[in-house]
Amino acid sequence: MNLKINVLGLGNLILGDEAFGVEAVRYLDSNFKLSPNVNIIDGGTQGIYLLDYVESPDCLLIFDAIIPQDYEFKVHVYRNNLPAFIHRKLSSHQAGLSELLSVARLHGNVPDEIVLIGVPPKNMDMHVGLTDEVRKLVPEAVEMGINIINEWLKEKE
Amino acid sequence: MAKRIVVDPVSRIEGHLRIEAVLDEQNIIKEAYSSGTMWRGLELILKDRDPRDAWAFTQRICGVCTTVHALASVRCVEDAIGAEIPPNARIIRNLMNATQQTQDHLVHFYHLHALDWVDVVSALSADPKATSELAQAVSPSWPKSSVGYFNDLKKRLTKFVESGQLGIFSNAYWGHKGYLLPPEANLMAVAHYLEALEFQKEIVKIHAIFGGKNPHPNYLVGGMACSIDPNSDMAINIEQLNKVKKIVDDTNTFIDQVYIPDLIAIAGFYKGWLYGGGLGNFMSYGDFPESDVDDTSSLLWPRGAILNKDLSTIHDVDPRDVNQVKEEVTHSWYTYAGGDDKPLHPSVGETTPNPGAVPKMPYKHLDTDGKYSWLKTPRWNNNPMEVGPLARVLVAYAKKVPMIVDTVNYVLKTLDVGPEALFSTLGRTAARGIECKQTAGFMTHYYDKLMANIKAGDTKVFNNEKWDPDRWPSDCKGFGYTEAPRGSLGHWIHIKDGKIKDYQIVVPSTWNASPRDSNGNSGAYEAALKGTPMANPEQPLEVLRTIHSFDPCLACASHIMDMNGNEISTVKIL
Repeated sequence: MNLKINVLGLGNLILGDEAFGVEAVRYLDSNFKLSPNVNIIDGGTQGIYLLDYVESPDCLLIFDAIIPQDYEFKVHVYRNNLPAFIHRKLSSHQAGLSELLSVARLHGNVPDEIVLIGVPPKNMDMHVGLTDEVRKLVPEAVEMGINIINEWLKEKE
Repeated sequence: MAKRIVVDPVSRIEGHLRIEAVLDEQNIIKEAYSSGTMWRGLELILKDRDPRDAWAFTQRICGVCTTVHALASVRCVEDAIGAEIPPNARIIRNLMNATQQTQDHLVHFYHLHALDWVDVVSALSADPKATSELAQAVSPSWPKSSVGYFNDLKKRLTKFVESGQLGIFSNAYWGHKGYLLPPEANLMAVAHYLEALEFQKEIVKIHAIFGGKNPHPNYLVGGMACSIDPNSDMAINIEQLNKVKKIVDDTNTFIDQVYIPDLIAIAGFYKGWLYGGGLGNFMSYGDFPESDVDDTSSLLWPRGAILNKDLSTIHDVDPRDVNQVKEEVTHSWYTYAGGDDKPLHPSVGETTPNPGAVPKMPYKHLDTDGKYSWLKTPRWNNNPMEVGPLARVLVAYAKKVPMIVDTVNYVLKTLDVGPEALFSTLGRTAARGIECKQTAGFMTHYYDKLMANIKAGDTKVFNNEKWDPDRWPSDCKGFGYTEAPRGSLGHWIHIKDGKIKDYQIVVPSTWNASPRDSNGNSGAYEAALKGTPMANPEQPLEVLRTIHSFDPCLACASHIMDMNGNEISTVKIL
């Protein structure tokens, strides 16, 4: 079977810890050799332009900076049931992950599995580079992501 | 006391674009203030970096305008170091730029702007048969117009609403008096909203082919990073070029058979709502060079400025002239060494934030007599200018560019309105569609040019003569421009000993969203909102409609995922 998995890193590279998702997929890409079924994407902050990467795979793993419901500074993992809504916005640049997911739902193109791995930011001032605290969580977050990918590959193959 | 309404996409992190409008007794907007509430100091991030890497950082300024910042950046570095690029590199850049413009305009219209004109809830009461008849009348050749198609869509939408999921279109103003479309037109528009979002996924694949990777395509000082070999598996080959051709053709079909007919159909219901014209001053740097980027006579989008809606006089624009394009910071949260009201050309620009002047959160409203924005105040010959699709279309119309003259006249005639209708929110929205048809045509034009060169054996895309910093002057300055989807974009660089000494960027939304200048003149958003009557100040549909028509680029910096599902736009009435 030709299982397609997309790993999508979201965030802004020039806003400190906002870049967590992008840094995580970069770390993943340079330290691990994954199955050719797995496509790693640095999605930046491209919002609705990422729709194809969200709609096209069987399984979607997302790394992003998050505001968790219960604030705890750690790696958070969310499986399915992510908030999906299209809100009234001032700029098309405000379209985030929740909006991508809701459009995918309206199109009827939702992946079988969606997992979000997130870390709350410590510093989002305009600069390049994660804080030490967030950087320390990257290997752990990526390892959790790899376990999930392996689970998918095992289950679905 | 006069009412003051505030529209502010407040997030827990920081706001972005904030509009404050003062209403009179009749709820007509008397004064408006536009504020960028987020500090963007990319200039400081670029200091001391390798100029050849600048494009990769500048393309992260903005979520969806990656290509345009990369393009302006490589152009300014090439200008500074004297690098020339091969014709194919210019053609591919133009093709990628035309692709970005087309996709961006399409997404803007359906994704951001449509809900300002289209009432999704009203679509639920549409008759699928009547919708099918309407769709076939509006666009006879477009196949997705059967009764069954609209019946299915209506069922799907109804299911969403009944399951309480209208939340996906939350915080909208359904039933607002400002919505004028009949249910059938609303249902047709919702169908095309979904089709457009589906279709736009294809267009951008052109970037992946020529940019090497997507969604952040590679650019290169001296040319492009891709390699072309029609017969190789390791380069852009004939199979990929055929794929590009198919996307280009499909894009033209979609624009002609869906976007333009929708635009005219929707505008027909709103042609009595001609607010939002604003400044009447328009500027375009021009773009799509057919020869060297400095040969402005070769630009397919012409360069020029219009003042006071006078289309009979086109003023010459030279962004390199230190007396023409200047920025001041009288009402901005910055400090200039020589005085905040003394405007500076970007080539000698300063970026010194003055955060002490920013009001402490939470604040009720901004100190609009003092400093009230993180945006500087750019002016052209001391005039506030509107940039973007309407400015470009008007400059091209006034310069009698045949394709633009034909399309503008066709749209005006079909809607039975005169050219004065162009100076409005609706005119801005129509201009974007007209321009999108043009850029889709550019995609065909550049594809054909590229294929002709390849057939003639020319596959060169990179010139490495100036790649090595040892071949650069030890001290040099450069200017790079492009017309981004939102308007004129300029990058100015100062290189010293192979490193970036200074970098200044003047983005389109700074022109449009700028605060007042030291003469008290409003920026384009501020001027456009003045005089607009509001049906219900608690649901500022009219404000959003006009601001959206400019396609603002101010909230792009951060996309943090809020697990509480909070809406991030709020409206307050003070």
